[in-house]
Amino acid sequence: MAVKDKLKVDLFPTIWCPGCGIGLIMQQLATVMDELGLDKSNTVLVTGIGCTGRMGAYMNFESVYTLHGRTLPVAEAIKMVRPELKVIVVSGDGDTASIGGNHLLHSIRRNPDITVICNNNEIYGLTGGQAGPTTPVGTSTISSPAGAAYSPINLQGLVNTNPNSYYAKTTVYHQGPMRKAIREALEWPGFAFVDVASQCIENNGRRIGFASANDMLQHYRTEYKAAPPGSKHLEPHQLGIVKGEPVPAGGPAEPGHSNGNS
Amino acid sequence: MTKRLVQGNEAVLLGAVKAGATFFAGYPISPSSEILAQASVYAASHPEFRFLQEEDEIASANAILGGSLAGAKSFTATSGPGFSLMQEAIGYGHKVGIPCVIVNVMRVGPGTGMPTMPGQGDLNQARYGSTGDYTSIVFYPSTVTECYEYTIHAFNAAEESRSPVILMSDAFLGHLNEVADLGPIEIPIVPRTLEPLASGSTRLFSGVATYPDGEPATADSDEFIRQYYEGRDHRLAVAEKYAFYEYGWNKDADTLVVAFGITRRIAQPLAPHFALFRPIRIWPTLDKELTEIAGRYEKIIVIEGSDGQYANVVERMLLRRVERVPLLGGRMSIEAIREGLARIGMLPAEPASSGSEFPAGSRAPAGSRSVG
Repeated sequence: MAVKDKLKVDLFPTIWCPGCGIGLIMQQLATVMDELGLDKSNTVLVTGIGCTGRMGAYMNFESVYTLHGRTLPVAEAIKMVRPELKVIVVSGDGDTASIGGNHLLHSIRRNPDITVICNNNEIYGLTGGQAGPTTPVGTSTISSPAGAAYSPINLQGLVNTNPNSYYAKTTVYHQGPMRKAIREALEWPGFAFVDVASQCIENNGRRIGFASANDMLQHYRTEYKAAPPGSKHLEPHQLGIVKGEPVPAGGPAEPGHSNGNS
Repeated sequence: MTKRLVQGNEAVLLGAVKAGATFFAGYPISPSSEILAQASVYAASHPEFRFLQEEDEIASANAILGGSLAGAKSFTATSGPGFSLMQEAIGYGHKVGIPCVIVNVMRVGPGTGMPTMPGQGDLNQARYGSTGDYTSIVFYPSTVTECYEYTIHAFNAAEESRSPVILMSDAFLGHLNEVADLGPIEIPIVPRTLEPLASGSTRLFSGVATYPDGEPATADSDEFIRQYYEGRDHRLAVAEKYAFYEYGWNKDADTLVVAFGITRRIAQPLAPHFALFRPIRIWPTLDKELTEIAGRYEKIIVIEGSDGQYANVVERMLLRRVERVPLLGGRMSIEAIREGLARIGMLPAEPASSGSEFPAGSRAPAGSRSVG
């Protein structure tokens, strides 16, 4: 098998805008799937609404393109009914953390053995560039002309409330670390979340001063630094991985812990 | 199984298990909570039966869609605002074509309303609750034994129609305990019709309008219309196999009472004075059957636990005026029915004795009950 076999290349070019970061995530996901022997008979993709949700249509797997925000209930049910399957959720920050926020809280708590790959472009791209749950304070968007008023949601902090979870922060520029994070997450026994900073040049980047998608990638290159090994907490713009205590696949979250950082 | 007291909500769970259900996801809400609780008890001793208590009804409804795609006959149970929260997922299930069963034990709404009181105000929601056009199959039993039977039919119809099928109940029926002997009931079980996920193919299950290859068809009206009629025609054809109703009481009377669910039981003392038509398949409506029967009667009265939801349907179907007896605020009693009949000047001259108002045993009273 080859990476290309994981993709429906006959449907290319994709609907994603030139310069979009999603393809960079799909490429690394396909690479890791090939390395791990994941194929259409042992793996299911669950995607949400937003540009990222189209990924399921471009991969040679069976996939469920859910309602907006509903990836996690669907994915968790599939895993519960068919524990032998690898279940991978791919979605954007708005789908995962805003409209799907309540599901995210409780999936984290229940610790299902699923992997979430979040294309975090800090914007509602498909609907034209409205502020989302991860938009930095002060960012001018078409729904926050005076700058986004509220702090972005703390995905790392949420995921780490489960002491048995896996959280990685990476960017689409850092292909090696992203591949490693996706691979480790897919092998993690329990809830794993890969938070990928990714550019939306058309409906965000250009409005906030970037001339091109490459400028955004270069921004990731210079702004994001690797966290010291063994970090229990990642600062903003740090690349790294925060792991809890792994428990057997499908097992319950470790009892007696209310906070993975404690 | 032998004769014993069975609760309406318990009968639903037993029917689901009999139908082959192996996945339940739900969220507690009165008056449906016993189904959730008993599903958890059943799961504890039957590892092949998966149970998940969800964070809300949105998750519950989406989870049974995922569970069904994964290969399990799946169901959830809810009431009132919980049913409203599920509407988005129900529409998705219709669009994608996912068999599953949603049990709605009705209480008095809107809003939080009267959580423990019976109502029948979700008929329109069961038909039109989600966005867009779709074809709902909805059953509403009247007895505890029927809760068992029509839960099985609901699963069968879901498999055949590849759509979410709704089983209606109400706070009265769900909490009713009746002597029942469910063991001898034999209803053929329709096996799974949908190849489970990870079949080795590369299907895309999409709530977005798509072509068969997965490419978006979001601006192709012809493709949408083609898929829409294909789904609608299939579900209507399946529904025809489940055209359940009861026609009985005093067929020689000049007035036909239309009543369903628990209301038909409450209206039992009217038996000497009226003919009865009880739709069990609430949606799609039984146009052929009701039109034919209604033609024999001078007047029609719809007695229901809402302010005319089904009366409006009947009036539009028959293109003639029908009388209405709405039972509101949980006042679902023979006294309330008599008051309603008096208001429209149709109270029978000699009220029936208040002796045996409910039929003995748990089976529906004798009548020309059709099962398709």
